[in-house]
Amino acid sequence: MDKYLDSRFERVEKALATFIDSIAKYNPSEKLAEDLVAADRELAAGLKELERHQNNHARILQLRQETASLDQQTKDIIGGLWNMRKEVKSTPATQYPATGPKYQFTTHELLNYAKRISRTTLPPAHLLYNSEPSESQQAGGQGGQPMEVDSAAQTPMPGLGGGTATAAGTPAASAAPTPAASGPSGPGPVTTSTAPFSQPPPPPSANQTALPEDFKPHINLLTGYQFHPWPTEDKVRMGGMAAYQSLVSRAVDPKGYDPEEEERRKKEEEEARKEAEERAIREREEEERRMREERERMARERERARREEAERSGSISGPAAGAPAAAASSAGGGGRSQFTFLDGMDDDDDDDED
Amino acid sequence: MASDPMSVNSSAREPPAPPGSGADEPKYGGYTRFELELEFVQALGNPLYLNHLASRKLLSNPAFIAYLDYLQYWSRPPYLKYITYPGPTLKNLELLQQEKFRQDIISPDLVERLRLEGMKAGIDWHRESFPSTA
Repeated sequence: MDKYLDSRFERVEKALATFIDSIAKYNPSEKLAEDLVAADRELAAGLKELERHQNNHARILQLRQETASLDQQTKDIIGGLWNMRKEVKSTPATQYPATGPKYQFTTHELLNYAKRISRTTLPPAHLLYNSEPSESQQAGGQGGQPMEVDSAAQTPMPGLGGGTATAAGTPAASAAPTPAASGPSGPGPVTTSTAPFSQPPPPPSANQTALPEDFKPHINLLTGYQFHPWPTEDKVRMGGMAAYQSLVSRAVDPKGYDPEEEERRKKEEEEARKEAEERAIREREEEERRMREERERMARERERARREEAERSGSISGPAAGAPAAAASSAGGGGRSQFTFLDGMDDDDDDDED
Repeated sequence: MASDPMSVNSSAREPPAPPGSGADEPKYGGYTRFELELEFVQALGNPLYLNHLASRKLLSNPAFIAYLDYLQYWSRPPYLKYITYPGPTLKNLELLQQEKFRQDIISPDLVERLRLEGMKAGIDWHRESFPSTA
């Protein structure tokens, strides 16, 4: 650029010098003057060019600076990324403890299980959506002495049941007599701030449909209910372990002992015994019947022997004796029935003797 | 945990067959071993029961500790699905494998806290599952 301008300056100087020379020689020439003007104009154009050059230079510098800052920014970013990556790579991934083998299951099984455990894992809705466990429950839980370490196997957890029972029982016991005994003024502390005297409480106004607070425990069956996410003492006491323990304490070896089986066996024995008794009774009746028949038979034979005797004596004493013989024979049926009747009497006597 | 010298010969026992396997299990007082052990392992979910066991000095008995170790088969299929109180049962079964827990459960304060927090958690985790309805 310098050369470019220098040549123009030189040209202007030369033109000026020749022009001055020509003037000094008193020989001015129009052509020289025009040369000077042209050189001057070129110089002006050159200066403009210089100005543009300078502007461009400034712009280039500015752009360079910008590039440098952008470069720096890029480097920073890349450096940041690199650091980040290094950090990410160096971060120890959480090592979950080896959860052991995974088990396959089907949705069906899962739903079945969920259904089955819902009774024991899902608290009733009033506990879920109402509020925190009430004060009395807390107090009951705390107050009931949770252990009696010395008690025997049959009383493992007195605090659990006892605490709950007192918690539920105390408000009921204290609140129950009040409305009954003192009548309408009973619910006073809660509702009858407007009627402190012993008049009947004002008939409930339209917006006063809520029950007095101290009635609620009596109406709510779930008062004092506590949700236990584990088997309670009652359940443990009623279960198979308790049955086992009771067998052991009765000195029965529980192994192979099945109460149902035992029950069945007893029943069978009972039935066999009954059957034997019945059979014995039947046999005895049979025996009696046989003896009765035997007696009847003997009686008939005696009768026959007696009749033959009579006939024999009749035939000896002649036809006159025929009539009684006929009569006797004709009366045979009646006599027999009479004997039968007597036999019956005998039987009765026998039975009585038995 | 159960590396104490064992005075039991049942340590190598196999878990009982789950129901429906067709095996004719011997009965103890009318219950199969499966039924009794299921009942027992679930009773372990009750902190007061644990305290009772501790008060009978069972939790320091090597044979009993071996039995607790053996009972861990309940945390695996096919037995797992029979547990109807899964949370406290499995948690306590896990805790019972630790010597420290077996010693500490004798403390009434710990039992009471376990009881209250267990009951609270039993309700709260449902609240968390359905925050919109709580």
